[in-house]
Amino acid sequence: MTHATHKLRRRPGALLAAALLAAACALVLAPAPAAALTVEKLSARPNADAGSEVLAATPTRINWEAQAEEGESLASLSLTLPEGTAFELDDARATVLTGADLMERVEVDASFSAEGQTVTASFAEPLPDGAYLRIEIFGVEFPNAGGDMQLTGSYELADGEVRDIEGMPAIPVTSVSPLDALVADLEQQEWVQAWNSNKFLRLFFNPPVIVSSFPIVFNGFLMALVIVLVAFPLAIPLGFALSLMRTSRLRLLRAIASVYVNIVRGTPAFLQIYIAFFGLPLAGIQIPTYPLGVVVMALNSSAYLCEIFRAGIQAIPKGQTEAARSLGMSGAQTTVYVIIPQMFRNVIPTMTSEFILLYKDTSLLAAVGVMEVVMYAKTIVASTGSITPYIVAAIFYLIVTLPLARVVGMLEARLSGEQRSGKAQAAVTPQAHDSGM
Amino acid sequence: MQTGEKNLGAQAAPAAGAEPIVSIRDLHKSFGDTQVLRGIDLDVHRGEVVVVLGPSGSGKSTMLRCVNLLETPTSGQIVFEGTNICEKGVDLNAVRSRLGMVFQQFNLFPHLSVKRNVMIAQQKVLKRSREEAERVAIEQLTRVGLAERLDFMPSQLSGGQQQRVAIARALAMDPHVMLFDEATSALDPELVRDVLAVMRELAQGGMTMIVVTHEMGFARDVADRVVFMEGGVIVEEGTPEQVFEHPKSPRTAEFLGSID
Repeated sequence: MTHATHKLRRRPGALLAAALLAAACALVLAPAPAAALTVEKLSARPNADAGSEVLAATPTRINWEAQAEEGESLASLSLTLPEGTAFELDDARATVLTGADLMERVEVDASFSAEGQTVTASFAEPLPDGAYLRIEIFGVEFPNAGGDMQLTGSYELADGEVRDIEGMPAIPVTSVSPLDALVADLEQQEWVQAWNSNKFLRLFFNPPVIVSSFPIVFNGFLMALVIVLVAFPLAIPLGFALSLMRTSRLRLLRAIASVYVNIVRGTPAFLQIYIAFFGLPLAGIQIPTYPLGVVVMALNSSAYLCEIFRAGIQAIPKGQTEAARSLGMSGAQTTVYVIIPQMFRNVIPTMTSEFILLYKDTSLLAAVGVMEVVMYAKTIVASTGSITPYIVAAIFYLIVTLPLARVVGMLEARLSGEQRSGKAQAAVTPQAHDSGM
Repeated sequence: MQTGEKNLGAQAAPAAGAEPIVSIRDLHKSFGDTQVLRGIDLDVHRGEVVVVLGPSGSGKSTMLRCVNLLETPTSGQIVFEGTNICEKGVDLNAVRSRLGMVFQQFNLFPHLSVKRNVMIAQQKVLKRSREEAERVAIEQLTRVGLAERLDFMPSQLSGGQQQRVAIARALAMDPHVMLFDEATSALDPELVRDVLAVMRELAQGGMTMIVVTHEMGFARDVADRVVFMEGGVIVEEGTPEQVFEHPKSPRTAEFLGSID
């Protein structure tokens, strides 16, 4: 068995097969002959931002320790790393300890060399009998897929005998996503390091942090979108009902709507969130965080929408109502078929602005632990110490607000154009009209 | 359309003794402390065209708006087809649907196409089917010369065209009386003609009309009766010949003099 391995050793590519064969033989021919060197430890340094995981595609250090048997004096040692594993030998280190309690450190002159995936440490002088040997290899990056990394190895004794290393434990390596791999790769890039040498750029625009925080903040972006996309449609009918109340003939309805609108618009949204999130639980009303966040945002926005709608209704010339009524339409019919459609047409730009405001205001929910854009960004800022995630968060706001602001501008231009042409009573060509949205 | 009791050209005074379709009695209207109407009495008979003249502020528009109750009279009564419409419990919407009104500012619904402007009240008030409303709309728009503009938006039309759509919109409701509130005052002079032509044709078709206007030519040619108002009262009324050629009141003479 030893002999077979000896021959195979010359062909590192076949080592895995050899190891399997060896294992098979070991099973068949157990017990193994003349127990040799015992691997005491094989580990890789945890390299995740937190926790004790060993991540693939991220530099780590392998720490291999073994106790030689009495009478074994190692002349060289070879360790074969799994296919696809990168490593550096510049800083590779061998440490030898001897003595009863391994307290004596022996200076060794070890030279490292690599052939394929095999790292060989050759010692100028054979090591003392029964020495305790530690090999450290730096800059090890396991393949992306991760899994249990099985190393193999062999060693040569002073007398030229080559023996396999038995009982090599596997290193569990956590696979990394292509994104994590990209981040790890970015961190190694020279231009990134040059970029990050500028304190300002590193703090605010750190490329690896941008990449790594993007998907996390994206979660918050989706959450904020969900909140605003549920809250806003809720706020529209509510705001409209309030605006009808405010323009109602009944004094009581007017008063209720007016008090509500003035209180909500007269206090900061931040305070309203605090009152709802801390007050309701104290009052024994338990509402899950997200629905409560949606409700508070909707209630807040409805007050603003009320005023927008009211202005939209008041902007409609009185003649419209008179024309509708003179045709015999009832008050309700006039409201539904004449007033509301025109009101919505009038208020779409302002409503879009209110949507933008509401979307931005979802960030206030971070203060009460709702996981939205800012909250996600904050967690990464806390772990990386970089401001960059906040910049990423800003980008996620802009993705929505910039195009919408542009839409508002277009709608406003279109609306004012229509009103001007309406006032001038000039015949507008159909083409000019259809070129709108 | 109304089957007129009056044939084309037969613009003689209505048969005496016939029940008036609109009868205004001692109509008063105040806005706050301002008395705008101080006792108006006016009968309009079926098929009659009454033109109301007068300086601005004389209350003529207010009187017209009282007739279809866009303004609520302070006192007095307005009897329309035998019903005092100032009383409580009157179905205002039903009354209004039989009184077509054309405004100075057209008041087309800007969010609806020309055709839909004419269809909407037919569908919602008269409960006509979509097809029926569309048929009537096309018929009335053809009548005012806008068959080519069915799918235009109001903002794409000239003022004169808009006003003709407004007339078609009112006519589509098969009104028994048409009220014109300075229908041509907001129009450029060259656009007035088309609108007046439509109104003239309507009058000749036998439509009962109360027309508040400053168009003396129209009053002279089309009116069966001319009413001159000033200071919230009717100062003078009579046939166009009487009022224009031999005004009894010096105020009428003065007003007509200032216009002509």
